[in-house]
Amino acid sequence: MADRKAKLSTSKVNVKLTSDLGRISFVVGACMLGFVFLVFLISVFYTPYNPNMTDASNILKAPSFEHLFGTDHLGRDVLSRIMSASKYTIFVSFAGIAIALVLGMLMGLTAGYWGGIYDKAIMLLSNSIMCFPGILLALVAVAVFGSSMLNVVFALGIVFSPSFARVLRTGTIAISNREYILHAKILKVNPFRIMVVHILPNLLTALIPAVVIGLANMTLFESAMSFLGLGVQPPAASYGKMLSDAQSYVTTSPWLIVFPAFMLILYILGLYFISEGVRIRTSRGGTIE
Amino acid sequence: MNKSSSKSVNIIEIKDFSLCFPSKTEGMKPVLNKLNLSIKRGSIFGVTGNSGCGKTMTAMSIASLLPKEASIQGGDILFNGQSLLSMDPHSRRLLLGDKIGVIFQEPMSALDPLMRIEAALGEVLISHGVKDKNEIRSKIMEMLKVVGFKNPDAILNRYPHQLSGGQRQRILIAGAALLKPSLLICDEPTSALDTVTTISILELLRSMSISMGITMLFISHDLNVVGCFCDYVAVMKDGAIIEKGITSRVLRSPQTPYTLSLLRKSRLDNVLSNDFFLKPNYSETPLLEVSNMSSGYDGRLFSRQKHANVIHDISFKMYPKEVLGVIGGSGCGKTTLAKTICGLLTPTAGTMLLNDVIIGVVFQDPASCLNPSHNILWHLLEPLKAKKIKLSKLETRELLIATMKEVNLKPSYLLRYPHQLSGGQRQRVAIAMCLILKPKLIIADEPFSSLDASSAANVLSLLSSINHKYNTAILLISHNLHIVSKVASRVMVMDSGTIVESGQLSEVFASPSSQAAKDLLEAERKLNSNPNALS
Amino acid sequence: MRENLKFILTKAVEFILTLLVVSFFTFAAFSILPGDTASVILGPEATPEQIDSLRQELGLDKPMVEQYLNWLAGTFSGNLGQSTAFNVPVSSLIAQRLPVTLGMCALALIIVIGVSYPMAILSSRKPFHLADQVFSIIGHIAFAIPPFVLSLLLILLFSNLFGYFAVGQYYAPTDNFGGYLNSLLLPSVCIAIPKIAMIFKFLRSSIITEKASDYIKTSKAHGLSDFSILIRHVLPNTNVSAITVVSIVLSDIIGGSLIVEQVFNLPGLGRLLLMGISRRDFPLLSGMVFYLALATVIIYFVADILNNLVDPRMRLK
Repeated sequence: MADRKAKLSTSKVNVKLTSDLGRISFVVGACMLGFVFLVFLISVFYTPYNPNMTDASNILKAPSFEHLFGTDHLGRDVLSRIMSASKYTIFVSFAGIAIALVLGMLMGLTAGYWGGIYDKAIMLLSNSIMCFPGILLALVAVAVFGSSMLNVVFALGIVFSPSFARVLRTGTIAISNREYILHAKILKVNPFRIMVVHILPNLLTALIPAVVIGLANMTLFESAMSFLGLGVQPPAASYGKMLSDAQSYVTTSPWLIVFPAFMLILYILGLYFISEGVRIRTSRGGTIE
Repeated sequence: MNKSSSKSVNIIEIKDFSLCFPSKTEGMKPVLNKLNLSIKRGSIFGVTGNSGCGKTMTAMSIASLLPKEASIQGGDILFNGQSLLSMDPHSRRLLLGDKIGVIFQEPMSALDPLMRIEAALGEVLISHGVKDKNEIRSKIMEMLKVVGFKNPDAILNRYPHQLSGGQRQRILIAGAALLKPSLLICDEPTSALDTVTTISILELLRSMSISMGITMLFISHDLNVVGCFCDYVAVMKDGAIIEKGITSRVLRSPQTPYTLSLLRKSRLDNVLSNDFFLKPNYSETPLLEVSNMSSGYDGRLFSRQKHANVIHDISFKMYPKEVLGVIGGSGCGKTTLAKTICGLLTPTAGTMLLNDVIIGVVFQDPASCLNPSHNILWHLLEPLKAKKIKLSKLETRELLIATMKEVNLKPSYLLRYPHQLSGGQRQRVAIAMCLILKPKLIIADEPFSSLDASSAANVLSLLSSINHKYNTAILLISHNLHIVSKVASRVMVMDSGTIVESGQLSEVFASPSSQAAKDLLEAERKLNSNPNALS
Repeated sequence: MRENLKFILTKAVEFILTLLVVSFFTFAAFSILPGDTASVILGPEATPEQIDSLRQELGLDKPMVEQYLNWLAGTFSGNLGQSTAFNVPVSSLIAQRLPVTLGMCALALIIVIGVSYPMAILSSRKPFHLADQVFSIIGHIAFAIPPFVLSLLLILLFSNLFGYFAVGQYYAPTDNFGGYLNSLLLPSVCIAIPKIAMIFKFLRSSIITEKASDYIKTSKAHGLSDFSILIRHVLPNTNVSAITVVSIVLSDIIGGSLIVEQVFNLPGLGRLLLMGISRRDFPLLSGMVFYLALATVIIYFVADILNNLVDPRMRLK
């Protein structure tokens, strides 16, 4: 009624503010992420030095024109290592999320659609996975299967699947009672078709921010694993490994900390800003209702 | 009355009051424009108008519950001759709940879900300085009796979710009236309630107004409700009052064309054309035979709900071409019946014989009847795919265009998405989705309840033409007795999960035998009469 | 009352089922997935005799079901077997390291709640105004910094700018409680900061939503003051979902503490875990993993019960 319209007009101010915020968030995030991707692309073709080449005569050199970001305790060029490390960060986060998404969709859509005992069983399974502090499950996988990139990816994929399963299950339950889904059921449309064609597109607004946040969290985990020495194996570079190598030189050679930390934070922050932007823009009613 | 009559006869006087809201496009957008209004002590004053006319903002201005962004541009509001706008915020706040009570539209969400009724009501007294626990309790008990709870003890310890919509609205009325205010502002208090409950709430409010001498400001968009409840009425448009006076005068012989158009739209029978529906032949084989059927949410492996039968022992037959009306209050099992017939629920007992009939379904809510992610074309093709009907490209094209024409939509709408259509258009797409399979039976579950009168009339005449053209039978589920009485040849009355009465329309409406049918018809009669009919 | 009991019983059954699944996962991870556990533990250089003797020592020659039941019984009686790397009972190793991790998690939780609630209440008073904007931006950035990176940066900052450097010193709580707290403070802050950002963001939007709800309008119409509306209505209603979020954060804190103590050189469970991994000490690892997961299961269970106390609607579901 009248107050609703008034509310609309007052919230318009906020909507304008939030939608501006949403756009700014998105653009800022995209720039940050774009920068990391640019670094990655360049590193494929060119790095100033061989990132794994040790040089005993240039140990722990401060940044200079020769080595822009300085050198580490083995005389390796930090800039080159940062550039080449970007590919692991990007690969692990995207591959891990892809696995998590597939598993999460299998669990969430079916559990939400069918309900009953099946739903309870799936929820029990996903709750149980969630009960292992994420990093722990990944550590166990590495402990048992050995530390390799693929093990890390699979472990993180499993760790992250329940979060997607939950988002999709909740969404599916909410949508299953909508009249258009009832209609599809009356027409006896194949259940899997209902899930994928009728339901899933309507959940994208909830799913996309979750995926982007997932990418960021995945990167957090990956860097933590590498930091503990259980991710990417030496001599290959990753941000976590570089930071853990630098630990002993915190006070004497801060450039070893600052530059990798900057890149890592840039990537994660970029993802957060993008997800925030997407969330704000879609929560404004956009496509749903 | 005599105590304060020395001040003035008017409890509220609004003088040249203007209110603006900041808006994205226009800077400051006026919501109320030099509004003048005075309300006589002890009267029931209705304010009506379309959404956005400023009626709720008028109420909120008096109650000082305006949103923070609102900015008052000028004028004054006098309460008992005292200017509200020049009062300090603290004493203005203390007026609320004490001298001015307010109740809102949504009884379902207007109570804190975490608070027991006793605490929720006690809060009113505590915040106005009543400290003694026994006093608080006895006042609450007294007021709960006034608002019609026969057993107030049982209510005190309940939580809001354990009460029905009507009960919650009574609790809210009790909360607003606890300190015996002199003014009660009711903002669409009955819009979310069904007819029978609406009438009982209106009767309660009227009796409280008389016995406690409460003046009421009653905001409603529903002219029927205003007409049967209020002594005076003001019609608002664009933030100003364009007509006011004694209710019967304004609604019988409106002076402005705007009021006239509102009146015309308010009643479905005013816009209904003389569509007629086919009379069935009761000697033909029935389309649908239901005998002793019970249904509900069974505790199967793949179901979220607990086992519970919602409808019991239902028996009826439907014949070709027939329009069968199903009426009943909310929660009587109408929708469960519809879901069972169209196969969403399986009967737990009894049988349901569908003689090889294709069923189409039209649901209540035009907002959720179409999938927002897909366009109209997809919606019309999906039934064909589901039923594995293979057509050539040309045939499909012709079928689609013919179907769109049938429901009075341009073929170019095929490429639109649901959010680009109006409620009535969406409802017609939903009908087209049924139509494309050429059903012999259409189940329409409250298809008009969220449409305004003219869209509802369009949908109704569409159903009538389908009924004629294809001899389609229609099972019409509705709480709107008007529509049912216009279209159905037979009618069934449902109450708490069973059919309590059924028969030819004229017989049931003229001499109802069951209590449920009597209540429904009585509420409908009161709603269409003048204020004095409310006891 | 009956509803309460029924709810708690259902949750208890759920709790036990989850525990069984978790225990099975843990057991499977260390006893079934690796294949021949004994040779995995000993590595490629081991002789067949060594492998055989270890297999007997660990009871790996028994049937799988018996092994699982033995192990499960062991975890509940606190008898987790002998660590293969340190040759002492696993339980005593864990008990020795527990105070560090426990203290750090508790401190971090206190900091998170103590900081995020006032921030969120302040921020939601005037959404989109200065304080709110500043908090939101800081929150975003804090959210994106991995705790171990934050630790390194803070060490860098404190050591270079303030000349304060307490890293690596640790006192047992029984010896020097002040020193114990002091040594855990900085790590706890590092764990807490990203979580503060998370809870702040959640609370802020939740408070704003609650403030716009219909029953707040009713309370205003009843003449309640803003303060009593906040205390009596807004906060209790935000708590309903906040409890769940805090429980998730708490389990994140446990995970985070395992890593951060590495940076600060604290002798907690995280380092024990790493040693276990590098020395392939499966009895130690399986015990620790199970206990850490158990802690999480208990946290979620308690959160469910608390939610039931707060929200009457839960009981009728």
